[in-house]
Amino acid sequence: MTDSIRNNLLGAVLLLGALAFVPFAIGERYLLNEVIVFLLWASVAVQWNVLTGHAGVFSLGQMLLFAIGAYGVAMMTTYLGFSPWVAMPVGAVAAAIAAVFIGLACLRLATAYVALLTFAMSYMAYVLIITETECFTTIGGGCQRFFGGTSGFSRIEDLGFRKLLRRDWIVGNYFVVLAIFALSFLASIIVIHGRLGLAFRALADSPAYAAARGLDRTRFRIVAFVITAFFTGLTGAAYAVHFRTAGPSLFDFSTLLFILSMVIVGGLRSTWGPVLGAAIMMTLVEVSKDMGEIRNAMIGFIIVLFVVLMPDGIAGLGRRLRAHIRTSKTKETA
Amino acid sequence: MDAIFQIILSGLTLGAMYALGSVGLALTYGTMRMFNMAHGVFMAIGAYGAYFAAEALGIPILLALLGGIATGGVFGALLHLLVVRFMLGTKDFEINILVATAGVGILLQDLLLKTFGAYPFRQPVQMEGTVNLAGVTITFQSMAILVVAFVLIAAMAWALTKTRFGLAIRATAMNREAALLMGVNVTAIYLQVLIIAGMLAGAAGVMISSLSTLSPDMGTNPAIRAFVICVVAGLGSVGGAGITAIALGLIEAAIQYYIGARFGLPLMLALVVLVLIRRPAGLFGREEVIRS
Repeated sequence: MTDSIRNNLLGAVLLLGALAFVPFAIGERYLLNEVIVFLLWASVAVQWNVLTGHAGVFSLGQMLLFAIGAYGVAMMTTYLGFSPWVAMPVGAVAAAIAAVFIGLACLRLATAYVALLTFAMSYMAYVLIITETECFTTIGGGCQRFFGGTSGFSRIEDLGFRKLLRRDWIVGNYFVVLAIFALSFLASIIVIHGRLGLAFRALADSPAYAAARGLDRTRFRIVAFVITAFFTGLTGAAYAVHFRTAGPSLFDFSTLLFILSMVIVGGLRSTWGPVLGAAIMMTLVEVSKDMGEIRNAMIGFIIVLFVVLMPDGIAGLGRRLRAHIRTSKTKETA
Repeated sequence: MDAIFQIILSGLTLGAMYALGSVGLALTYGTMRMFNMAHGVFMAIGAYGAYFAAEALGIPILLALLGGIATGGVFGALLHLLVVRFMLGTKDFEINILVATAGVGILLQDLLLKTFGAYPFRQPVQMEGTVNLAGVTITFQSMAILVVAFVLIAAMAWALTKTRFGLAIRATAMNREAALLMGVNVTAIYLQVLIIAGMLAGAAGVMISSLSTLSPDMGTNPAIRAFVICVVAGLGSVGGAGITAIALGLIEAAIQYYIGARFGLPLMLALVVLVLIRRPAGLFGREEVIRS
């Protein structure tokens, strides 16, 4: 185990430990719910950063994979009577399998092609869902379309904490979401600082040399896509069981850009950036709620501001500052 | 037989609109490796520009159409001056510009929503009436779309191939450094290209809104089609994008007629993926994919 992997894992464990105390410090249900939302989006942002910042695959289909996890849980619990505990990992596997096919179709292509094709596929799924008209079954006297149509799925079976913990059911949900965030974040550290991350770095630095040394670019890209899809899908599944809904609003462009802004603000190509970015963006959106409907305009403005002025995000700024201090120190000693 | 004529006619109308929407995108990618995610919102801006000119200012519709096109051009210029200019030549330009223009897109779409509201206005810049030609009903509007698309694309093709201005654009697209050494003002070229792309998007927006209604997110669907068209043609191939647009318009019209409107986009995408498996750089694109 290298130093960087150990230090980052240690830091992550400390963060997760601190997060485990949050439900006991925050009594307010609204606030705790906001922290749950933060953990969900942070997990998606962390995976997106691994894929784009490290593996160099700029996918705009992350919410499609998220939705596969969420819809998977919704459909398995509604139609097949699965327990949500079983449906969650199965939904994640479904997202990973979808990623294999999308990856085989797209990932041989150049950067911009990948972004546009994944975006188009995500939009296609959205159109197919909202244009569905035939009822599949009737649930509670209402028409239930196979993929939920425009209204999606609601009243998904919960994790059972409402019966078990009564008024504190949300604490149960909190720890499930925290566990999924932990898996996602720890996995991202192992990928970034492990052998896979080394291969990504080699392929980014010199594609031709890396290929000459036997690294298969397309295969590594597909591996990265499938691994991140699994965790993105798992997070989507957690979203569905916590909110007990899954609907076409998951495909909203503003949601995609909200999460993208977390990655950009925190810093692409970093390890901790997306978590930091998620915290910052969640706070900004929460604060801006008092200033009227400016959420989307603000997200767009922040994205443009950061890409133009600080393309490496806050993590990149920190890196530059550290490098600056180091060079000025060596100058002093010299 | 009538059905086939009808399909060809609506296919050509669709194709002409798609061509108008995608050649601007192809031109920007070809010259500056920049893909504009805000292209769809530029379409909406052009449509609202024409609407505003005709409805609020009472300008005749032909001038209002020009007003819509000009609005698109102004926003193209602003995009260059406020955002793109500072990013040229930076590391990871291709990914960063996608992110930045996506941000511009959601920002402008939100501003459109704040200014005009979500009400689906009818586009006043359009022609009424139909004509019956050998048993086939043709609306004046679809003829107008064909004419506008043809005139604008022909004008752009003429400018690109026959003028010094077009020569400079093509030289920059081929080799930026060489063009720079030959005295081409590359920064000015980039500004001009974004203005042209904005104007074409604006024109496409007016045409698209004339067939449905105005809404801030009206550009999303046509922009995704334009993305797909540019990808299958090979990013940056302007002529290829035009031809592919017409072909996909015809195919889509046939799919809509025989299978149903719902499957137009999915089948188109499936076709595109099949094409890309055979030709990873698109039908007309140069091979630039790193093999491994």
